[in-house]
Amino acid sequence: MVSLDQLKEEVKKALSSGKVKYFIGYENIGSGWQVRPAFIRQPEDVDRLVWTPACFHNLVRFLHDEKRRRAREKNPDIRPVGLVVKGCDSRSINVLLQEKYIERNDVYIIGVSCELTGVINITKLNQHLNGLKPQKVLFGSKGTFKVIVDDREIEIEAPDILADRCLECPANFPVIADVILGEEIKRNPGNRYQSISAYEKMALDERWSFWQQQFSRCLRCYACRSVCPMCYCDECVADSIAYAVTAETTADEKAQKTRWVERNPELSENIFYHLVRAIHLAGRCVDCGECERVCPVEIPLRLLNKKMEKEAKELFGYEVGFDPAQPPLIACFRDNDPQDFIR
Amino acid sequence: MAAEFEPRIVAFLCKWCSSAGADLAGVSRMEYPPNVIPIQVMCSGSVSPLYVFSALSHGADGVLVSGCHPGDCHYIKGNYYARRRLALVKKLLEYIGLEPQRFQMSWVSATEGVKFSQLIYDLVKELKPLGPQTKFRRNY
Repeated sequence: MVSLDQLKEEVKKALSSGKVKYFIGYENIGSGWQVRPAFIRQPEDVDRLVWTPACFHNLVRFLHDEKRRRAREKNPDIRPVGLVVKGCDSRSINVLLQEKYIERNDVYIIGVSCELTGVINITKLNQHLNGLKPQKVLFGSKGTFKVIVDDREIEIEAPDILADRCLECPANFPVIADVILGEEIKRNPGNRYQSISAYEKMALDERWSFWQQQFSRCLRCYACRSVCPMCYCDECVADSIAYAVTAETTADEKAQKTRWVERNPELSENIFYHLVRAIHLAGRCVDCGECERVCPVEIPLRLLNKKMEKEAKELFGYEVGFDPAQPPLIACFRDNDPQDFIR
Repeated sequence: MAAEFEPRIVAFLCKWCSSAGADLAGVSRMEYPPNVIPIQVMCSGSVSPLYVFSALSHGADGVLVSGCHPGDCHYIKGNYYARRRLALVKKLLEYIGLEPQRFQMSWVSATEGVKFSQLIYDLVKELKPLGPQTKFRRNY
């Protein structure tokens, strides 16, 4: 069991010794059970921190902001930023290290083990409670969640309301951390590619009509891109207005930029955008599932990323996020890579 | 009588092998269907997945990426990178529901004019029954 007091103690220690610049964790929204990222700057603020099954955010995403802020400042504070990470988040730190986007000493990691549970899916929770409003959602003992509704306690088996990504998680334990809280208990994920197997079995036309329906709903709000710990480009190739414009950029340069994807949310452009994103995340996506969670029209984006993860594993034996020293997937090759599709 | 459907194939040919192979087919006066639109690129490794998606969204009925045989790349390892990257693209396109015949890859060396012309014959034969590619095409 991860002890919240221990977490607070560690954060307090790191902050008061001046080892970290600030600390990013989770705090409750008001007195409710839902959670938001919390930026802790003073040691006395650590009491705001919480650790509940609703801590699904991937805080690694805030490292991009930090890096940009540092680049802007004249005399930046180069002390590391403290982060609370789960197993999946720690893998995304590994990918950022692998790509040399950050250095290891840019970040002070407090890893928390998900143990036998993980984070919840709000939709599943609401369905399970059948209209009742939860007051608190807490970790129970031995792979259960404790939900407090109308001052009584309901115990729910973890798999019933666990987020889809947690059901397929390859390591529910931080793979890189300075301090680790909680026990390393392996939860057996079963088939890691369970969610996509149904779609792979579909006939071609069925698959197309499924994805056509999904993509035609896309609003191109780019929430999936904003929340993604891997989408750190200043200039997005799939977004014709996200150009990195400096004082030196001429009007001509702006006008001559290649527009791969038009801005209108038409089906053809949406497909283009999502395919480009899937390819750019191939071998980088750690399946933290945030894109799917934030999508306002509920496009199952994890299915795309999971497919790429599966192909990387099956075709090239590539595991994402476990080894910060391994080269990125498409920046390396093996002589015996499969080529039976090539004439 | 309605004219028979003629597929349009966009072919990204590497400068050092496949382009020369296509040239050899031409110089040797081999016949092959005129459905292919060759685009010379410096290396098959320089073919970004964006090129493929872009060709499809601009209405190509098929896309062909062709480079040197493994081990023969002018830049030593460009075609190895291409092989890995485009394998993922192919899997992704099929997963979305595009017919697998519409995206093809081949190794054609500078001496394989015959192979190139045969390849185009085969591609056209495979693409004709599929009809026009409308799934990814821009229609506004």
